[in-house]
Amino acid sequence: MVRKRRTFIRVITLVAVIAMVSGCAQNAAKENTRAASVNSEVNNEIIYASAKDINDMNPHLYTGSMPAQGMMYESLVENTAEGIKPLLAESWDISKDGKTYTFHLRKGVKFHDGEPFNAEAVKQNIEAVQANAEKHAWIKLSTKLKDVKVKDEYTVELDLSDAYYPTLVELSMTRPYVFISPKDFKNGGTKDGVNGFHGTGPYKLTGHKVEENATFEANTEYWGGEPAIQKITAKVLPAGETTYLALQKGEINFVFTDDRGADSIDVEAMDQLAASGEYQVVRSDAMNTAMIVANSSKQNSPVHEKAVREALWIGIDRETISKDIFNGTQTAANTLFSSNVNYANVDLNVRTYDPEEAKRLLDQAGWTLAEGKTVRAKNGQPLVMKLYYDSNSSSQKMQAEFIQYAMKEIGMELDLTGEESSSIANRRATGEYDLLFNQTWGLAYDPQSTIAAFTSDSAYKHTTSGIAEADELYRKIDQVMSSTDDDSTTELHHGESRKALYADILNIVHDEAVFIPLTNGRVTVVAPTRLQGITFKQTQYELPFEKMKFE
Amino acid sequence: MGSYIAKRLLLTIPLLIVISLITFLLINLSPLDPAVVVLQAQDVPQITDELIAQTNEALGFNQPFLVRYMDWMAAVVQFDFGYSYVSGESVWSLIGPALLNTLKLTLVSSVFIILLSIGLGVLCALNEGKLLDQSVRGVSFFLTAMPSYWLAAILIWYFSVKLDLLPTSGMDSYRSYILPVLVITVSYTGIYFRTVRSAMLSNMNEDYVLYARASGISERKVMLHILRNSLQVAVSIFCMAIPIVLGSTVVIENVFAWPGLGRLSVKSILSRDFPIIQAYVLILAVTFVLFNMLSDMINAALNPRLRKEI
Repeated sequence: MVRKRRTFIRVITLVAVIAMVSGCAQNAAKENTRAASVNSEVNNEIIYASAKDINDMNPHLYTGSMPAQGMMYESLVENTAEGIKPLLAESWDISKDGKTYTFHLRKGVKFHDGEPFNAEAVKQNIEAVQANAEKHAWIKLSTKLKDVKVKDEYTVELDLSDAYYPTLVELSMTRPYVFISPKDFKNGGTKDGVNGFHGTGPYKLTGHKVEENATFEANTEYWGGEPAIQKITAKVLPAGETTYLALQKGEINFVFTDDRGADSIDVEAMDQLAASGEYQVVRSDAMNTAMIVANSSKQNSPVHEKAVREALWIGIDRETISKDIFNGTQTAANTLFSSNVNYANVDLNVRTYDPEEAKRLLDQAGWTLAEGKTVRAKNGQPLVMKLYYDSNSSSQKMQAEFIQYAMKEIGMELDLTGEESSSIANRRATGEYDLLFNQTWGLAYDPQSTIAAFTSDSAYKHTTSGIAEADELYRKIDQVMSSTDDDSTTELHHGESRKALYADILNIVHDEAVFIPLTNGRVTVVAPTRLQGITFKQTQYELPFEKMKFE
Repeated sequence: MGSYIAKRLLLTIPLLIVISLITFLLINLSPLDPAVVVLQAQDVPQITDELIAQTNEALGFNQPFLVRYMDWMAAVVQFDFGYSYVSGESVWSLIGPALLNTLKLTLVSSVFIILLSIGLGVLCALNEGKLLDQSVRGVSFFLTAMPSYWLAAILIWYFSVKLDLLPTSGMDSYRSYILPVLVITVSYTGIYFRTVRSAMLSNMNEDYVLYARASGISERKVMLHILRNSLQVAVSIFCMAIPIVLGSTVVIENVFAWPGLGRLSVKSILSRDFPIIQAYVLILAVTFVLFNMLSDMINAALNPRLRKEI
């Protein structure tokens, strides 16, 4: 009797489990044939993975995804490899004293909501940005912009308090000087949020499910012509395995380096996708420089000494980092800026990898290795420094460990600490570090943004203020930022050309070895093989989707 | 029963106050200036002293700790958790949908966990030491020992990429539930069915079973008695399982890109979006307290003796 019941229960349970599993599978299979056919029909759509939600698309604040903002909003001028080019402004005049910029706007441009783009819209937008000027302190133009005047329907004038040569470059940036329909303003401005996200760009935002996806559709009335790719979807996917599997399955078909310089799949996964024939991997030219920043102003730390910084510099084997950690996708960097950065094609003495020379430098500076010790010391102080890296970046951690090992060989001890990026930023601002990982702002922003940051308390003030020529450095930075003439070879006041000033600045920080370059970062795109026209902008933060098309 | 519930509810209030105070305190112990935290959360590229002063003023960080805590508490009592530092949206509008998504996943998984645990637990207890018992325990040991993200990746690879049956991630239709629910169920059933099994086994050796059998009560009824008594232990464990699953879906949510509470909390922790972190901790604490209470109440219903003890 008992046995029978047990058998009965067993059979029932088994049947239930089988029914459940097969039921699910059947339904799933049915649904799926439909989904699969839909997927194959979508051949004119880009679906890209992003580790983060697009967030707030208000272009006058900083939480939104930059690639998404880049599709939707446009600036007056565009920064290209050939220099500043017209965008929403067709042409411009700059007054002799460099204080007045007059822009002649493109006619017939409309915001996505149908509102006309004109001088009044420019004025309202720029004033909305200026109303929140404190938040834009990093962009020096925000501190110099005095007045915006509407001259006529399509002419607008910007008045500056003093001449500022990077004005056009800063106006070309993804934010904040881009334009949103004044109808979207809240309380007459944008600093407390906006009611809609209507720009003038090639794509408009048509849907946003927070933490799931965002869809962008082609702006059929785009002044530059309707883009070929009709729909772009940004899908929130965690980096790594899930993104890789979704690419394999075809649920997404596009990934690219994010605005923090992190790739959602590793180099090996990219190679495998490329080997399958379904995908291509496209890499930009060098966009920025990954580096170790040395806190020259930290008096009681060995990092205060130039010889120590130099030893660190030449003790790092960049070729191996490039080859073994990045599989060659990032190239070794020997200077703060690569030579394709404006004004940065300067002759600097090359410091080649030479661990023996590093030891000699340290010996010479008094950091000697006592018998039986592994760490050098000077006047009883051991040669120990702390190196902070971003704990979310696997490549930084690997580099930190590699460098730590290399320094051990020359008798320098590095303590590694992984922290989140905001904590690293805080250390940079307060000066509570010896060494930390950082990167330059990127092609469209450099050299002026990174160099302006040399003098900023929250950026590189601690890094630069401990060097011997600090005062001279700051004076030259001041001069170069206020130089009026656009022609880089003209003599400026004090008889120095802008080019010469930049050369001096770069020479000073190079000699002092406060910014220790590691590799040049690139933007990497993984896209379907049949996607054509993949190009890059001068910034690592945006991609020109409007130029892409499926063959 | 009514007064029992009322007493229990009253007892939870001081508990919640202590929890919220600790959360608030821990967050304020952070060495960073709260204004700097807010500005960094907003990705402001360059933070100036004026901006810090402005933000401190605007958000009331200048006030003493206790004043801020009281203000926060007064708002929370009215279900106002404040505004996200990052997006400026109300915390509730961010946490609400995420909580709902996670609850859906948790509840569906919990149903499977409970049904399977009871089913397997009873099955194994009845077949103690036999091949079935041993193989179920063996397999479950193996499955529970697998890291869930790894199991998830394998399942996605097999069912989504190889067989092309299910979506890899997201929350588009009921099909999106299959893999995450499967992974959660597999990870937890292995733990909980053992509890049911051992409770069954210890009850089977009780005197009342022998007595019932001796009185000639049908074996089916005896088994039901054993099950009912075993469930008391199981109920309290299951009731705690739900908040545990709720609080630990973060790994699953990350692998499957599930727009839930786990992902929101991790994102908020990384960007130090304190109002969301505070609300998250409080909500989780409330859930634990509520389910703990629920388990006591179910047990009280199952076993009248327990009601008198409070």
